[in-house]
Amino acid sequence: MNRFWTTLALAGASFLASGTAQAEPVKIAIIESLSGGQAAVGKMFLTAINYGLIKLNGEKVWPDGIVVLEYDNQGGPSEAADKVKAAINDGAHIIIQGASSAIGGQITEDVRKHNLRNPGKEIMYFNVGAEAMEFTGSKCHFYHFRWNGNAEIRLRALLTAMKDTKTLGTKVYVIGQNYSWGHDVDRLVKEYAKFGNYIVVGDVIHDVNKIQDFAPYVVKIKEANPDTVITGNWSSDLLLLMKAAGDSGLKVRFATYWMDQPGNVANAGATAIGHFNVSSFYPEANGEATAKFADDFKAKMGQYPVFIQGHTVHGIWGLGEALKKVKPGPDGKLNVKQLAFAMETVSFNTSMGEVAMRKEDHQALLPLVVATVSKDAKYKVDGTDMGFKPIRLISGKDAASPVQSSCKMERPGA
Amino acid sequence: MEFFVVSLLNGVIHGLLLFMVSAGLTLIFGMMGVLNFAHAWFYMLGAYVGFTLTRTVGFWAGLIAAPLIVGLCGVLIERYMLRRVHRYGHTHELLLTFGLAFIIEEVIKLFYGDFPVNYAMPPYMKFAAFTLYETNYPFYRLFIGGVALVMFAVLYVLLTRTRVGIIVRAATYRPVMVEALGHNLPLVFMSVFATGAALAGLAGAVAGAFFPTHPNMAVDFGTLVFVVVVVGGLGSLEGALVASLMIGLFISFSAGLNWSLADLLTVVGLGGWAREVGGLLTLQLSTVAASMPFLLMLLVLLIRPAGLFGERQ
Repeated sequence: MNRFWTTLALAGASFLASGTAQAEPVKIAIIESLSGGQAAVGKMFLTAINYGLIKLNGEKVWPDGIVVLEYDNQGGPSEAADKVKAAINDGAHIIIQGASSAIGGQITEDVRKHNLRNPGKEIMYFNVGAEAMEFTGSKCHFYHFRWNGNAEIRLRALLTAMKDTKTLGTKVYVIGQNYSWGHDVDRLVKEYAKFGNYIVVGDVIHDVNKIQDFAPYVVKIKEANPDTVITGNWSSDLLLLMKAAGDSGLKVRFATYWMDQPGNVANAGATAIGHFNVSSFYPEANGEATAKFADDFKAKMGQYPVFIQGHTVHGIWGLGEALKKVKPGPDGKLNVKQLAFAMETVSFNTSMGEVAMRKEDHQALLPLVVATVSKDAKYKVDGTDMGFKPIRLISGKDAASPVQSSCKMERPGA
Repeated sequence: MEFFVVSLLNGVIHGLLLFMVSAGLTLIFGMMGVLNFAHAWFYMLGAYVGFTLTRTVGFWAGLIAAPLIVGLCGVLIERYMLRRVHRYGHTHELLLTFGLAFIIEEVIKLFYGDFPVNYAMPPYMKFAAFTLYETNYPFYRLFIGGVALVMFAVLYVLLTRTRVGIIVRAATYRPVMVEALGHNLPLVFMSVFATGAALAGLAGAVAGAFFPTHPNMAVDFGTLVFVVVVVGGLGSLEGALVASLMIGLFISFSAGLNWSLADLLTVVGLGGWAREVGGLLTLQLSTVAASMPFLLMLLVLLIRPAGLFGERQ
């Protein structure tokens, strides 16, 4: 596939060089896991991006359209670094990535360094899923934009909703994965104890996606006797944890960040009922508006938007809003610096509510929805009789976390 | 006490599951000298076959048919692939099984998709075997352990107490002599490979209904079964059992312990300093539980390179 796009890009480039045409499409390079174990999530990002672009290319927000180049990072940061170089060589303006903060951390640094060394040929890192705090904290830079939530924003939403509905309880346990993301969630849950009016009765950090049997961790959780277990775990780490807890008859509520990843609810079965999850989109979140969005997505892509797809589509539309404010340069090319300045002030309406980019740290303020797994949900998931029943829609402003003091963004002259 | 008992139980059951998967691997290596890289993928295949059959002919029929079908795959792979590359040496056999692993994984994804499938045990097996310190202990965990023990007993008796076992063991040491005595050596090898594959298939069909069946389950197990076989000694069935149990217990206990190097240093009065330094010194044992098997492998390789029950070559 890469070769196909490369050929296409080369053919396009030679065509442009020979002809009199002077405009050039905007090239966005998606660098995701497109093969191997974690390919499923990469493909979901791709689907959402393609759906978002249908609207943008239909409206002609850029005269020569927007094209997607696909790169397979094979699930690792080092491969991702190579693919960033390949994408730059292929003339990419924007690099999109979402799955895993570990890979995102590599990309954001590569992009920052490239921009330092190549003034006038800047590229942008368009983050649609890496949620560790450092992206808008110590690692923040002018050409990074995060269109998804982060560990803190999502936690605020979860706590707000669960506190309001009196489902949080007073004793909280936190379990997480041993890398930047898991440590962030662990630290934040402790910091927000006062906000949520609870005490943290225990915490544990474990290896990432290596553990087959979570029963020993369930023993630890049981000893601490919490009301609610908050976890940022994803993929098999979440599924195995929930199953192990369910099998041992442990009576706790799980409050998770990623339970809506396809397959989780089906596999956990009735164990999942009553657990909470925070997401950027559910078809039932905002009545008619979200249902209409979900139906249109299904009509075009063959599935309802789930997991990370809601905010990814919104992010792409945000890119469209920014592109509308930028004119092609005299050489027909996109000036990424101008695009970045335009993107800083983007604010637009979606089916979920207003999405706006925050200028100070390039963190999107996006509406989030907290839902509980229930048989009453209108849209069932995974072919089960269960689905996510929203309990609270939280606006971008309410979920927003303060700008981190560690973010020292160097802004270029206009 | 509660922690000790529950961790012991969990560790033993997890270890027995590990043994089920690695028994076939060590058997194949011991008898044929083939390091079957695709072994954990047979385990995954078994889970998916079990999942498919459960929906059509029922759970128990699936449990019986899954190892047979995976065993049949083993027959075809040995007869039409491994046998051809055998004369080029072990590297080629390893590469062949390495490639097979990829093919099995991609084919499974093609048919079943990228996400976990809904393979569940029958509802009547979903009950608590007993309640231990107010925690239900799922019956199915005991079932997994039971199947593993039965499997070990049958294999052991088969290899040490029957004529078939005598021929198989003889073929390991003196293949030429066994052939000269009129035994069909290629058939013996094919049967051993098929049995090894079938055992992994059985493990997959049993465990897949408890732990989720998903396209990553082979990768998750892949390295661990090699650790088991190396620690136990290549080719030793008893070694595999002991190593599996050790690893299961190691993971189970270290997951529950919040010990760190800083705690150790507290004994000599340096705890405060260690906590200030942080980093590696305050890393808790529970955080690195899943890496413990590799530490064990390192130790065994340093002290007894042939493995616990392995024969020195």
